[in-house]
Amino acid sequence: VKLQRLKNGRFVFHLSQRDKLLLLEVLKLYPRICSAKQPLSKGAKLDDHEANQRLLEEAVAEQRAANKKQLGALITDPRRFADTASGCRLTLSATDLEWLLQVLNDVRIGSWVHLGSPEERIEKLTLENAPHLWAMEMAGYFESHLLEALDT
Amino acid sequence: MATTATPEIKPGKIEEIEEKPKSNLEPGFLVICWNDPVNYMQYVTHVFQTVFGWPKQKAQFHMLQVHEKGKSVLTRESMERAEHYVHQLQKYSLHATMERDE
Repeated sequence: VKLQRLKNGRFVFHLSQRDKLLLLEVLKLYPRICSAKQPLSKGAKLDDHEANQRLLEEAVAEQRAANKKQLGALITDPRRFADTASGCRLTLSATDLEWLLQVLNDVRIGSWVHLGSPEERIEKLTLENAPHLWAMEMAGYFESHLLEALDT
Repeated sequence: MATTATPEIKPGKIEEIEEKPKSNLEPGFLVICWNDPVNYMQYVTHVFQTVFGWPKQKAQFHMLQVHEKGKSVLTRESMERAEHYVHQLQKYSLHATMERDE
């Protein structure tokens, strides 16, 4: 993944054929976090805690549904996800980049949760943990490129 | 030898402080971000900048506090505003909660 240019507030990335396939595979996994996994409060000393927790879960679920829809629109839009001779060109507005970061981080964190939320680096690969570890690292790989682009 | 003056004690009134129940509209709710070993530091900094509109230095300060101390109190708000911020932070998959400031 390479940031080619920043034009009119739009980020233009070049992805190799392999990167394109990997990105599409990672994006297929979205959403990966269960919205009920995110508590509003640890203390639960809030008024109407349960109702507010439910509202938060609904809001997060709505947000994910909207992101999923936007994702479908992005990868089928030839102006934003265009094939080139050597791979593809991904054109993102600042808003697109922001929600794509959310999507990728959802896959990263959700995969980590599927791994059992380990505190330490996983040393031993097994048939069970390998797909989650792959998804977590790949989502992180693309996320790092987007963050780097934001810093330029 | 220097002497210390004895303070003059005057009769006074004992003020009774009545404890009022805290309203949800008062800024009595803390928005806290908790550490996890998976979110990138650069990502957390970016999220703080985006959600709170903070300059990079302030966002980095709170990110490091989360990383080193396990959590950081990001802001103190009314219940509604605190809920809004928790939602925004959770949209980015950060481990954020709101707690009543007691």
